[in-house]
Amino acid sequence: MAYQLQVNGTAFSIEASGDTALVDVLRDDLGLRGTKIGCGQGECGACSVMMGERVVCSCLTPVSRATLFPITTIEGICGQAVAHADADAAPASSRLHPIQQAFIDHGALQCGFCTPGMIVAAYALLNRGGRVTEDDVVEGLTGNLCRCTGYRKIIEAVLDAGERMQRHE
Amino acid sequence: MNSPVLEAGVALPGEAAAASNEVGKRVLQHGARGRVNGEAVYTQDVVLPGMLYAAVLRSTQAHALITAIDVEAALAAPGVRDVITAEDFPGIKYVHFGAKYSDRYPLANGRVRFIGEEVAVVAADTLAQARDAARLITVKYQPLPVLLTPEQAMAADAPDIHDGDLTAAGKNIAQLRDLDFGDVEGAFARAAHVFEGVYEHGVVVPACMETNGTVADYDPENQALTLWTATQAPHFIRKEVSHVLGIPIEKVHVRGVNVGGGFGGKSKVCEQEALAALLAVRTKRPVKLTLERTEEFLSGKTDHAKHMTVRTAIDAQGNILARSTSVVIDNGAYTALGPVYMAAARARTASLYRVGAAHFDSRIVYTNKVPGGQYRGMGAPHTIWAIESQIDEIAERLGIDPLAYRIQIANQSGDTNPLGWQIKSCALSECLAEVGERIGWDEKRRNPKPWRGVGVAAMIHPSAGVIYEEGNFSNTRIELGADGAYKLYTQTSDTGTWQNTVLAQLAANALGVASEEVTVCHMDTQNAPLDLGSAASRVTFVTGNAAIRAAKALREKLAGHLAQLWECDAADIVLASRTAFDANNPARRVDLGEYVAEYGAQVCDGYYSVPTKRPDPDTGYGNYAATYTFGAQAVEVEVDPTTGRIKILQIVAAQDVGKAINPTAIEGQMQGGILQGIGMVLQEELVYEDNRPVNANFLNYKIPRIGDAPPIEVVIIESPEEDGPFGAKAAGEPSINATLAAVANAVAHATGIRFHKLPLTADRVLAELKKREGAKLDFKPLKRPYNVHVATVRSMYPAIVFPALRKVGTKFARQRRKGQRPEVLVANDLQEALRELAVAGRKAKILAGGTDLFVGIKQNVYDLDLLIDISRIEELQGVRIDNGMLCLGARSLLAEVSDSDIVQRALPMLAQGIRRIATPQIRNMATVAGDLCQEKRCWFFRSDLPCYQHGGATCPCFAVMGDSRHHSIIGAGRCAAPCPADLAPILTALDARVVAVSRQGVRHIPMEEFYQWSGLTTLRADEVLHRIEVPLVENATHAFEKYAIRKGDFAEASVAVRLRWQAERLVDARISLGAVSPLPIRATEAEQHLMLHGLSASSIKEAAARTIYGGLPLPGNHHKGYLLIELAQRALHGAAGRQ
Repeated sequence: MAYQLQVNGTAFSIEASGDTALVDVLRDDLGLRGTKIGCGQGECGACSVMMGERVVCSCLTPVSRATLFPITTIEGICGQAVAHADADAAPASSRLHPIQQAFIDHGALQCGFCTPGMIVAAYALLNRGGRVTEDDVVEGLTGNLCRCTGYRKIIEAVLDAGERMQRHE
Repeated sequence: MNSPVLEAGVALPGEAAAASNEVGKRVLQHGARGRVNGEAVYTQDVVLPGMLYAAVLRSTQAHALITAIDVEAALAAPGVRDVITAEDFPGIKYVHFGAKYSDRYPLANGRVRFIGEEVAVVAADTLAQARDAARLITVKYQPLPVLLTPEQAMAADAPDIHDGDLTAAGKNIAQLRDLDFGDVEGAFARAAHVFEGVYEHGVVVPACMETNGTVADYDPENQALTLWTATQAPHFIRKEVSHVLGIPIEKVHVRGVNVGGGFGGKSKVCEQEALAALLAVRTKRPVKLTLERTEEFLSGKTDHAKHMTVRTAIDAQGNILARSTSVVIDNGAYTALGPVYMAAARARTASLYRVGAAHFDSRIVYTNKVPGGQYRGMGAPHTIWAIESQIDEIAERLGIDPLAYRIQIANQSGDTNPLGWQIKSCALSECLAEVGERIGWDEKRRNPKPWRGVGVAAMIHPSAGVIYEEGNFSNTRIELGADGAYKLYTQTSDTGTWQNTVLAQLAANALGVASEEVTVCHMDTQNAPLDLGSAASRVTFVTGNAAIRAAKALREKLAGHLAQLWECDAADIVLASRTAFDANNPARRVDLGEYVAEYGAQVCDGYYSVPTKRPDPDTGYGNYAATYTFGAQAVEVEVDPTTGRIKILQIVAAQDVGKAINPTAIEGQMQGGILQGIGMVLQEELVYEDNRPVNANFLNYKIPRIGDAPPIEVVIIESPEEDGPFGAKAAGEPSINATLAAVANAVAHATGIRFHKLPLTADRVLAELKKREGAKLDFKPLKRPYNVHVATVRSMYPAIVFPALRKVGTKFARQRRKGQRPEVLVANDLQEALRELAVAGRKAKILAGGTDLFVGIKQNVYDLDLLIDISRIEELQGVRIDNGMLCLGARSLLAEVSDSDIVQRALPMLAQGIRRIATPQIRNMATVAGDLCQEKRCWFFRSDLPCYQHGGATCPCFAVMGDSRHHSIIGAGRCAAPCPADLAPILTALDARVVAVSRQGVRHIPMEEFYQWSGLTTLRADEVLHRIEVPLVENATHAFEKYAIRKGDFAEASVAVRLRWQAERLVDARISLGAVSPLPIRATEAEQHLMLHGLSASSIKEAAARTIYGGLPLPGNHHKGYLLIELAQRALHGAAGRQ
């Protein structure tokens, strides 16, 4: 069956059975492999993507549902860097979203496997606007597991990114 | 020794300030860019033209002979290209630890020894095809007795898990070591005090975010095999794959990829490498074999469970005269690095602190469980927990402060311990003093606040362990390339440790350039010379030294040649970014790219071998490592006596790292290791039931979430180790070593209870606290007369019912289809959905969010032909107020309802309650109807065991005799699964009703009539849940209290309350209990008590005690009674207070 998807601002037509998980469509049909599979059961958050304004687990999203909203993956967040370019902190050519840059600057990643999902969840949190506290960060990233970092530097990075984004709003 | 202390977050004070000297600087992680923007390639991302996908058929028996395997149906299945079993391999076992420890074939060879063992593998065009085909393989098993624990395995009448001389040391004993260092007997004889304790723990797992996986590609023309694989040790992959396939090792190569965590779980060969490789050779197509998460839990190597008896002899001053330790280590079904693990764990028993003499007797025992391997610390975390628990007791007996005592007996530089370890650099005393001061030890130890405590523990860690038979050396290669920049090739693997960044810093420093000029290319065995891999805390020390030598050699070569060309001094040559110039005459410069174009790429190798001799193979005497890292951690905890929950308020960790090459890297490693330690001590364990783990998922194997991360203060202490690069020793791995002990010691201080079994889960702590209190729960089971019947049947379970039903009854179980892939039909309107539901002879279900359905389908709890997607049906969505009723459309997202202004104003308790359900992702997908209708989460049910719910009346309930900590305490019958939905008690308390629509009409179903059982509603097969109607009543107050193990988890217990008032008088009380019974129930006795006696504090207490009336707990879930009473009190106080 054919499904029309909007992913990172581009329209795609996909041939798949309706119960195919969005994460498989993204990775195998569209070659967008930044979104990772950590558990396939919605329990680790590595597969997080944006459906509209909401962060979801793409491993549990059937492609029949994915047609309803524009989808943003980690690759799409990267592409939004131009609008958010933090002229103070990074050269214009870096083209990374402030959240991505903050993760690098704070050493908030080790193996990096959870990182795309973590950044997407942070993106969902920070895009709601307003000041964000440590409790908000914990709340917003509860669905994202990390085994390497102990989370402290991730919290620092997200708080810092929130401030960087506020400065440019 | 005056060792400089590095403040966390602060750069090193002024050292060699040359721009090129980045040793000690907070260099950003190399390769981070690709990881944050999604470009980094991990094994699961590798795609090759014509690639096939493999799926493994795994053993469903814990111990059995394989009498027949029939793969014909699988071979004939669509898309299948090949199927392999043991006989397709050359019949060679993995080397692993070598010689007599070599016990494992790539696929089960006539016998299976644990549930999850690989029996056959299918390669097909798609993964779905491979999995479908694997299900068609039939295997005939002849069961053998299962030996699940070392105790069972060592029994005289136990069968041998392995044949032959593998277990000459004793029944199922893979290795036995009985060693003495010094006069242990004499020491115990003259001791002033002797302490003895038994300490034990179960199985924990590395749980990397990336599962194991391999892509194998075979080139038939050159007969060359290439592997992209998630590993820490490419060398061992080559060695083992070439060995079991009979391919020359020169023809087997590993390529570089990003690896998503290792922690030891990927430090030797696993199983999927050889399986993918053989399929690639046979099919002549690339083959990808990646493990699903459940498979990872079932077959990925674990840490080893241990039973330790520790005896310590001290003199009157507290000096440790001797330590004698007896350890039984659970090997699992095959020996991976068992003897090395044993040596490592055992070594920690007498190397931390000054010990006069030491004795070990240890045995590593085969059991029918997944094999143990290496996990961070190699047994040190638990071993140190045992030792340090006893050290606390010794201090107490001596009347010395536990911190002061540790400083008294601390290892010192220059010591040689009874094992023959020569301690060179050592800042243990400083580490202890630092953490003590920073946590406020004196004050908090002497005057702890109620239910708070502080604990301290230290650690020692072999840095660059000399454990390999092959020796302990490293080769690296550095190349100046056409771009004028440098590449450092190493066969080690950065699995997230930041080793590649550190190596770049070291090599760059030796060259005299900025670290960004050096790119480390890891893992690639074609380009990099031999190195043993990233394990045993060796990379910074051994590979680092080799990298420095390679870089120095290259610098000498370049400088020498340029000096010749320019007729100047080699010492005056400066290497800068992509250029080189003469410091005395900077006009004389060359672009290095051009230099390479003219003279070719410049390559130099560096070799470093650890000067330390390996210990004597017979006596075990000698240095275990090139050097030793030390550290200490102080922890402050707060214990909640009403729930048993241990909250870690703060941790201070100091580590003596010799030299911090990259402080940010070390901080990250320390924070990460400590959190793994927190998981180990508080909440992680594989729960074995019916011979398999029933918590093989992230929901129930509880690694710490972000909310579990306490503030961690990291202190880096530098006491240079002369052989280490810039004085560095290992810093990454050992941060986990002291955490368990420090936490346990803090808990002991807070509660006065010393636990001898880990993990310290809240239910165990609560049970122990209540036992000490002499508290008793009054369930009054006779209030539910049916309990008499249930209790009677339960009493017959051990001897009669369970054995009979498990063995015989399950043979008559209802036949179930498994692995169905239902079609999805998108319904455009309600009528279409109803029409489709009404079609006879087809198993159809409504698909709302899918968060329950898709997981359930995967776990074989749903068997469906069709899913009817209702996400287009307008009328099923939305939140509105209609005639004094809050109407929630069935497919409204949980997040939509909690975000709704209408709900937040009209019923804040509902909004707040929903926000406690699961995680943001799940709340953004799951619907209110889906939450109510979701299936049971009982881990027996979800692990596909043949229970009553799956198989019918001839099948047992596994919770009766099994681990029932999550199960019902009220209302269980043939099934004990509780209703997991939080909305169930909430909506029951709110007196809501469900509106169901069918072609016959509309039904209004009160919440209290909505459930038949957990996962089974009173909706008819042809009905669609349309909306939920919640009456908005005046003068009502509400509360919802939920207790979950981690934020984001299902409830262990919950209470929802609605009170209605007339002025100050209570006129109606609705108390609904969640997660403690198969359907939400009203605590009517509690309600009546409130109506009679009002809401004074004592009345609330009495009412809360009544919420458990009619309960009949199982042996494992008694604690839920306390939780319920506590939550009821909190909820009632909350609702009363809002009046």
